[in-house]
Amino acid sequence: MLEAFKAIKEKHLEAKRIIDEATAEAEKIKQEAAQRESSVYEEAYGAALRQTEQKIVEVKRKTAEEAEHELEKLLSQAEERAKEIEAKAEKNFQKAVTAVLNMILH
Amino acid sequence: MESTRAITEMILQEAQKTAEHIIQEAQKTAEETLEKQRQLGVHRATTTTRLLLKKAESEAELNKLNSIANAKIKANWVILSKKETWIDNALNEAKNELTILTQSKEYISILEKLIKEAGVILGGKELEVLLNKQDSKLPLKLDELAKAISEKTGFKTKLRLSAEKPNVIGGAIVRTANGKVIMDNTFDDIFKRREKDLRSEIAKILF
Repeated sequence: MLEAFKAIKEKHLEAKRIIDEATAEAEKIKQEAAQRESSVYEEAYGAALRQTEQKIVEVKRKTAEEAEHELEKLLSQAEERAKEIEAKAEKNFQKAVTAVLNMILH
Repeated sequence: MESTRAITEMILQEAQKTAEHIIQEAQKTAEETLEKQRQLGVHRATTTTRLLLKKAESEAELNKLNSIANAKIKANWVILSKKETWIDNALNEAKNELTILTQSKEYISILEKLIKEAGVILGGKELEVLLNKQDSKLPLKLDELAKAISEKTGFKTKLRLSAEKPNVIGGAIVRTANGKVIMDNTFDDIFKRREKDLRSEIAKILF
């Protein structure tokens, strides 16, 4: 009977040791997590910022492309308009000169 | 003996289970803590990045609008300067044709008309006529012109050709004998006086 109590007591002690070790391990896990809190925060913050920087580059590139497209359109319209002006002016040139002479002489 | 072994095994099993539970709970808490920090980081970044993105979008849009506005101004300027060049060309051509006209027979009557107009505007009396070197040699009927001016103004008029020879395309400058009042009816001055109207008329016809 005494042997049995002794055995049970030993196992109790062993069980306590196991739980103590686990508690210590748990405390260590929590402490490590606490130490990593700030770096995890910064990493998440930094990753989001980097993602946004890429988005910003993309936005700028897209807007610049749109502007380029608009500029090409404008240039082409201006060239077209200039050609029209040239053609009209060439056609009506003598008429304009005659009108000037009439205004000066009459 | 068997029951003792069963009890001790149970004690150890329970202890193991408890230990595992403690560690699992700690891991769970640690993960939750880190996840919370991750979420906080993302949340703070979201506010910042939203502002950065909005600012970048506004700046990019503004740059785009500026580029387009500048290009429009430039394009308009190119077109405008092209038009101005054509207007200048038309004016220069008109001056050339006037120069040619001064060599023709019809020019004498035009010149006489310009002298008469100027004389009437000045109100007649003693007047001096200034012509360029070439026109000074033309056979102008100054007495007849003076008579016509007298009739128009009601004042006896005398026209005298000045020795002064202005450097002009054609036309005449007429001034009172004392030189105080001058009527410039040279082509050059008519061009200058009417330049705005001329340019406007040319533009209407050309474009």
